[in-house]
Amino acid sequence: MKSHQVKLTLNGVEREEVCESRTTLLDFIRHDLGSTGTHSGCEHGVCGACTVEIDGQIVRSCLMFACQADGSKVNTVEGIAKSGKMSDLQNAFKKHHALQCGFCTSGFLLSAEDLLRKNPYPTELEVREGLSGNLCRCTGYVGIVEAVLEVATARVYQNGGEHA
Amino acid sequence: MKSAPFVMHQAHSQSNILDLLDKYGEDARIIAGGQTLVPVLAMRVASPDHLIDINKVDELKKFGVSGDVLQVGAGVRQSELEQWSELRKTQPLLSLMFPWIAHTPIRNRGTVCGSIAHADPSAELVLALALLDGSVILVSKKKKRVVRAKDFFLGALQTSRQSNEFIEAVQFPVRGPHAGFGFFEYGYRHGDFAVVAVAVIKEGDVWTIGFGGIDDVVRVYQCTATSLDKVKNFIDELAADTEVREDPTATSGLRRHLMRTLGARACQQAMEFKSDEIR
Repeated sequence: MKSHQVKLTLNGVEREEVCESRTTLLDFIRHDLGSTGTHSGCEHGVCGACTVEIDGQIVRSCLMFACQADGSKVNTVEGIAKSGKMSDLQNAFKKHHALQCGFCTSGFLLSAEDLLRKNPYPTELEVREGLSGNLCRCTGYVGIVEAVLEVATARVYQNGGEHA
Repeated sequence: MKSAPFVMHQAHSQSNILDLLDKYGEDARIIAGGQTLVPVLAMRVASPDHLIDINKVDELKKFGVSGDVLQVGAGVRQSELEQWSELRKTQPLLSLMFPWIAHTPIRNRGTVCGSIAHADPSAELVLALALLDGSVILVSKKKKRVVRAKDFFLGALQTSRQSNEFIEAVQFPVRGPHAGFGFFEYGYRHGDFAVVAVAVIKEGDVWTIGFGGIDDVVRVYQCTATSLDKVKNFIDELAADTEVREDPTATSGLRRHLMRTLGARACQQAMEFKSDEIR
């Protein structure tokens, strides 16, 4: 029975729908709000494909119910390139072949952005550890790690950082 | 992979939680971070009729040192405690463990008390509570009781919590400034379940050594040893003599090997321990 009125801000736009208590945030975003950029992988918190950002923190959207996200600000992969132009990180993924089938990519992008926000000068090991919650079955991760490291260096140069 | 239907109750205060638990008892489960409970519901290992969401109860979101314990309320997320600037000094063992507990998105949502409530014998926080001889504060509508870790964890995923009780907070005793700590674990992927986890506290010549993942509950041993070689001998004997779990993820032989190698490393780390060097 659809009994929960859930109102949240998805990528800056206020959205409202009614759902069941057992509807996960992942299904709510995909089925009820129609934003299918966030992917549904394992549905039990192992693969990281469904990673979204809620009130500034990345979480697994398959591991919470939509009614628990009522009133929060949710950002998904669609929010990374709102203008329709790909972000620097997305371009680096393309350049380094950091995706083949692309199923895991939306989760990786969210996790990588969070990592770079918290740690703008990551080492390769820190990138690998930071992204260890996301699974990719195509690339072997080398391209993904290279893309994130390249963007980290480019952003530090851009901001006139001394660690570059 | 969808949960069976349930009624979600949004609790707004602690007394509200207790009323709901009193009313629904065994048919209800508390949901805080849900990082273990939601998969359990999705796989229909459990299908409670009622869920009581405690995320909006502000009085449970407190943690701090009172007396000689670090008390952590039921609403405190793992990442909140991980990022607390005093943690390294107050509870260095937890500082050593946090990077190993699942992954950032899980720690952002999962709570400390939730991990204790789930009582997975390979969970790092369960190991920490058992090793530090901590306690769990259980509250029901009628009474409040403090249960020591060794009386709380009864088996794999089994605790002495009654169906009308909920974990208000857990207490991690703070050790003296001269205590040394060590922690190592082995899993198949960074952040995955530990095949074996070892934590060590060294206070003078007294070594307290805890093993997670080897049995249905965390096993804690104590020995007095004047040198690293002596404590390593003690661990070698333990690994040879102890009943150790065998399952599809690891043979008991591998687990015994990990007890010896990780145990030796954790003891070395405890001997050379300096809290300001924790990453």
